[in-house]
Amino acid sequence: MAAFCSAFPFLAHSEFEGACQDLADRCTSAQNIGWSDIRLLTKPDGTSLRITKCVDIPSPLESPALEDFEEPEDEDPEALVRAKPQPSLQIDYDILLSPTYQVPVLYFSLRWHNHGPLGLDEVYQYVVPERYRQELKSVGVMGGISMGYHPDSGAPAFFVHPCNTADAMANIADAHSVTPGSYLLIWLGLVGHCVSLHVPRELFASCIC
Amino acid sequence: MENRVSLGSIQKAVWDGRLPLEIILASSESRTFDKTDPYLIAYPRISYLPSLLPRLRDFFSAFLIEPNSQSHDGWFEFEGVPLKWHYPVGLLFDLYAGADPASKTAAGGNESPESGSSLPWRLVVHFSDWPDDLVRLDADGMVMNDAFINSVKEADFLRNGTAKGIMSLSKEDSSGLWNAVQEVNLLSFQRISNILLPQLSQPFRNVPIRIFLPLPLDAESSSLKVVQSPLPPSIPASNMQSSQMLSSRSGFTIQPQTVGTFLHTLLPNLFPSRRTPVLAKPVLHGAVIPMSAPIEEVVRSSAYGDGWAYLVVRMMG
Repeated sequence: MAAFCSAFPFLAHSEFEGACQDLADRCTSAQNIGWSDIRLLTKPDGTSLRITKCVDIPSPLESPALEDFEEPEDEDPEALVRAKPQPSLQIDYDILLSPTYQVPVLYFSLRWHNHGPLGLDEVYQYVVPERYRQELKSVGVMGGISMGYHPDSGAPAFFVHPCNTADAMANIADAHSVTPGSYLLIWLGLVGHCVSLHVPRELFASCIC
Repeated sequence: MENRVSLGSIQKAVWDGRLPLEIILASSESRTFDKTDPYLIAYPRISYLPSLLPRLRDFFSAFLIEPNSQSHDGWFEFEGVPLKWHYPVGLLFDLYAGADPASKTAAGGNESPESGSSLPWRLVVHFSDWPDDLVRLDADGMVMNDAFINSVKEADFLRNGTAKGIMSLSKEDSSGLWNAVQEVNLLSFQRISNILLPQLSQPFRNVPIRIFLPLPLDAESSSLKVVQSPLPPSIPASNMQSSQMLSSRSGFTIQPQTVGTFLHTLLPNLFPSRRTPVLAKPVLHGAVIPMSAPIEEVVRSSAYGDGWAYLVVRMMG
């Protein structure tokens, strides 16, 4: 029923928008998908999809890496609040269409209660599942995840390198049968897994197109 | 006469271009408040500001209230705006300094009329209180190197339609390219970039150009409005312009995509004419760039070290 991708392994602007809309619609009906929020953001210069989820990680008291962030400031009125274990890290994922590579690109930023911005070390420690760490760290100048500026907000954010996405999609998906909707799900499976953005099974089940 | 100017000589002029900078230490971070001597330098337009940080950290070390700060804690500000270090300083100047760009109509050959109050460009360096809206640097310069190479990859992908060129570049050449830009060594830059660039006889797939739009005066954030779209070097010929027509292999008549044609296509409100700047003018390396310039030639001769031409749109009048 749905049209196939016209520029596979690339994704046209309108196809990307349609696929994002589709995914957002489907998520409102799928229960318990493990994401705390999914929102379609429509702006004059492009659509993006924001998925928010919380990851449980060890409390700051047990976590040496994050403890370093807490400088001992006895007079800090928030010290009591800070000492409370805050076990979940909020990750905002934004899926945008790269104007250069013509494929979706995944930006993400981390929010940790009462902490300043977290760095790449924390990304590898808490966001990248262990089985992907070595592989991801070994490519490029400093690994497959870079720090850059979010194309919409201009704020610092992490992103997964999109330069090999088209080749990878061409290897995985069948050019003759992939629709924009299934493209986005396959891409999420490919790129999302590396940074703990897992595609809920319910979405695949409802997408036997 | 203009046609006799080779792409190589323009590229050399771009790489030779320098900006006088006057850098002061943030008064709140100085033991002498605003009585600290400024650091003066004629700095290459294609260079990146963080490369100055070790020198600035040394120069200001005796004045720092916080003596334990490192050079990679350093960041720059112009009139309250933290400067995004991943852009070359020439672009930052064109974006923020408010200088009148050089143009063909202005008298006086080589000297640009970037005169008056905008030169030297007065920047403030900080070594504390890193702003939230800047990506942090690291001690080894890897973050900068990574940002540069990512930008090079994007330009390469646009030119060739694949990322294979830059991916197949040897590790030595890949770091050599970054070193050549940091050292402003045009010869060693050309040796490596010639591996990446398609031959002159083979046109680019798309031309890596980004356009920076004017910032509203009341802008609260320093977020920039950037326009980018796939730009092929040739377009189907229009009846209006017959002077530069070429015949493509397939028999269709094509003409070179010029600065004027793509600005008119992407930003018709700002550029109602393809030939003459009416409301706004495009600025590259501190000069108004001719609307008739073919964009592939612009990028081959005047791209920054990462392969991109960054055009700043300046309102007229």
